[in-house]
Amino acid sequence: MENILNVKNVTKSFGDYKASNDISFNVEKGKIFGLLGPNGAGKTTMIRMLTNIYVPDSGSITLFGNPVGPDQQNNIGYLPEERGLYKKMKVLDQLVYFGQLKGMSKKTALDSARLWLVKLDAADYANKKVQDLSKGMSQKVQFVASLLHNPKFLILDEPFSGFDPINADLFKDIVIELRKNGATIILSTHIMHQVEQLCDDICLINKGKLLLSGNVREIKKSYGKNTININFEGSKDFLNNLSNIEVINSTDSSAEFKLLDLNQSPNSILSEIMKFVQIYKFEIDEPSLNEIFIDVVTKANGEQNEIKF
Amino acid sequence: MKSNSKLWTIISHEYLKRIKTKGFLIGTLLGPFSLVLFFGIIVLVSMSFDDSSRKLMIIDRTNSIGKELIAKENSKYTLSDKDEKTLKSEILKDKIDGYVLIPEDILEKGEVNVYTKGGGGIGYVVEFERNIEKIVRYKRLNKFGADEKVIKLVEEGVKVKTQKVNEEGKIEKDNTASLSFVGYILGFAIYILTFIYGSFVSRGVIEEKVNRISEIIASSVRPFEMMFGKVVGIGFVGLTQVLFWILIVSSLFYFSIPIIKMVDGNINAEQIAKMNTMMQSSPSGGMMGKQMSSPQAVELMNNIPSISIWIGIGFVFYFLAGYFMYATLFAAVGSAVDTEQDAAQLQLPITMPIILTIMLIPHIMSNPDSSLSVFLSLFPFSSPITMVVRIAATTVPLYQVALSILFIVIGFLGSLWFASKVYRIGILMTGKKPSFKDLIKWARM
Repeated sequence: MENILNVKNVTKSFGDYKASNDISFNVEKGKIFGLLGPNGAGKTTMIRMLTNIYVPDSGSITLFGNPVGPDQQNNIGYLPEERGLYKKMKVLDQLVYFGQLKGMSKKTALDSARLWLVKLDAADYANKKVQDLSKGMSQKVQFVASLLHNPKFLILDEPFSGFDPINADLFKDIVIELRKNGATIILSTHIMHQVEQLCDDICLINKGKLLLSGNVREIKKSYGKNTININFEGSKDFLNNLSNIEVINSTDSSAEFKLLDLNQSPNSILSEIMKFVQIYKFEIDEPSLNEIFIDVVTKANGEQNEIKF
Repeated sequence: MKSNSKLWTIISHEYLKRIKTKGFLIGTLLGPFSLVLFFGIIVLVSMSFDDSSRKLMIIDRTNSIGKELIAKENSKYTLSDKDEKTLKSEILKDKIDGYVLIPEDILEKGEVNVYTKGGGGIGYVVEFERNIEKIVRYKRLNKFGADEKVIKLVEEGVKVKTQKVNEEGKIEKDNTASLSFVGYILGFAIYILTFIYGSFVSRGVIEEKVNRISEIIASSVRPFEMMFGKVVGIGFVGLTQVLFWILIVSSLFYFSIPIIKMVDGNINAEQIAKMNTMMQSSPSGGMMGKQMSSPQAVELMNNIPSISIWIGIGFVFYFLAGYFMYATLFAAVGSAVDTEQDAAQLQLPITMPIILTIMLIPHIMSNPDSSLSVFLSLFPFSSPITMVVRIAATTVPLYQVALSILFIVIGFLGSLWFASKVYRIGILMTGKKPSFKDLIKWARM
């Protein structure tokens, strides 16, 4: 498969802090790639280097076979996490301006903006000022601003936040459609089930370092089938009585936990639990990305702490 | 080529966005009025409020000087027959502002004491001194038998008239005084305009930063283009306004001069009398009519010097040069902060030279060729204002103009370098409010 983006040994420091520490990964053409990591991991720094807002201290970034630079910016669509529009400008004027800044002519920008507004059921808002729009509506405008120029490479940072479930689904469909039409997409989000739904490949960074990267399916497989999901009725105190498990998360009626002893059969755990509560659902599964995320990051933090002390 | 068109996109965006607002229209139409109003108020205030608010009681031991003082200024001085003790207590009770004791031997010793509570400025003292000095001088001359004619001669001043020798060796009217004043107004206009448009720039930068638009634009164009496009776009707005004003003013001159000349040529006593009554009968013209008869008004109009085109060109050039230098620095400051208040604080080191220059304008006006004036007109941070005043008030040697242009271009390039370095870091920086030192650190990064 052809690589659209190559990130190779990229390092970027701010003062003493390495926001990006020797990071390498590739993004294949036509894939949705998840860029994951806890807050402050260095995701935004990485994105800003991909969009030529920052320049790496060392290492190289190539997009479509050429080093990232001002000339490449027209090929990139970028939806930043912190959304920004001119409050007092009309929607259409604003979109045309952003389109022109991506190298479109005024006319093509206008046509494209109109097309997208119609598609998103927002044509009525074309001549309204942004300050008069609802939050969801201005999110739509922001979305259009980032893909107005039909970029072949898109970076979406928390793209679905601020949308109601219906609109969130609408935009999920749009993202999938964009990929179908040949766009390559980097998706940065904290919502892991979205990553599981949408992403083909991921990389996970923490404190500027790459912890994990690869195909989502393979990563999950490599963690083995040792996660158990249960729904139950009764007190969840029994979780404390089970040995050789690690609770990932739990509510008053459900729990997700990992079997630590690989020799222990799920059946024996089930019969153990049945002594305490009424079981509605019992499921053996691969670990969720959420679990892998927490596991990898806490382990990494633990190691770093050990080194420190 | 492509990125060039992006720069133009930004320039026209910034320009059109502002040209289309109501504020621009109002500012363009009312700008000159507010400047005239501003100077009018200054002149009016200094004319009508130069009387001291302090009134003095006078104890006159000579029995004559006091009366003459009151004859001169009966609103400020009152003869008193009370003794010093009572007057002193009245001062303390705030019944009177103060009193003067004119001693019998004033003609010999030339000394008078004024008693007050202290404070109150020196205006009333200076005025009193001027008043009494005239009377005492007259009395002294009179006492030694000087003739009335002699006294008049002594009191007569000397009028110095300046004449300008032109290149053909002929004498023409020298308008230095009025031209200096024109220079003052133009220099002051540059000061105000630079600040107004400079703050447009920093406000625009802050708006984009606070509303998180900077990141989107930075992912599309170079930060330099982002900043420079804004500075140029707003500069064009300023240029549009200034050219409009120049057009208005020059067409006013163009049309009013023939009219004045015509009136001047044909005017006769009857018409003057008619005009005078007309002016006095109209409520607004009344005051003017009383103070100024029409021939005087015509003479005054004739006294308005023809403003050389070079003053106009110099004004536009130095306005633009000063604006570009300061506006880029304002953009840098704007990029580093989140509010306009913080921007004002950080701007202080940048605006100090321009404020200092404004305070030195009176010196520049009266000594346009002094070494300080020459220095200020070459130093790029003060030259936009200073050079315009000098061009109006004197004949500036060509090499000085050339040098000042060279220095201001260098100054602008330096500002541009500094600002673009700071800007690219500033627009994405959030959180801690940076100091001016931080900005310098960023510029070095």
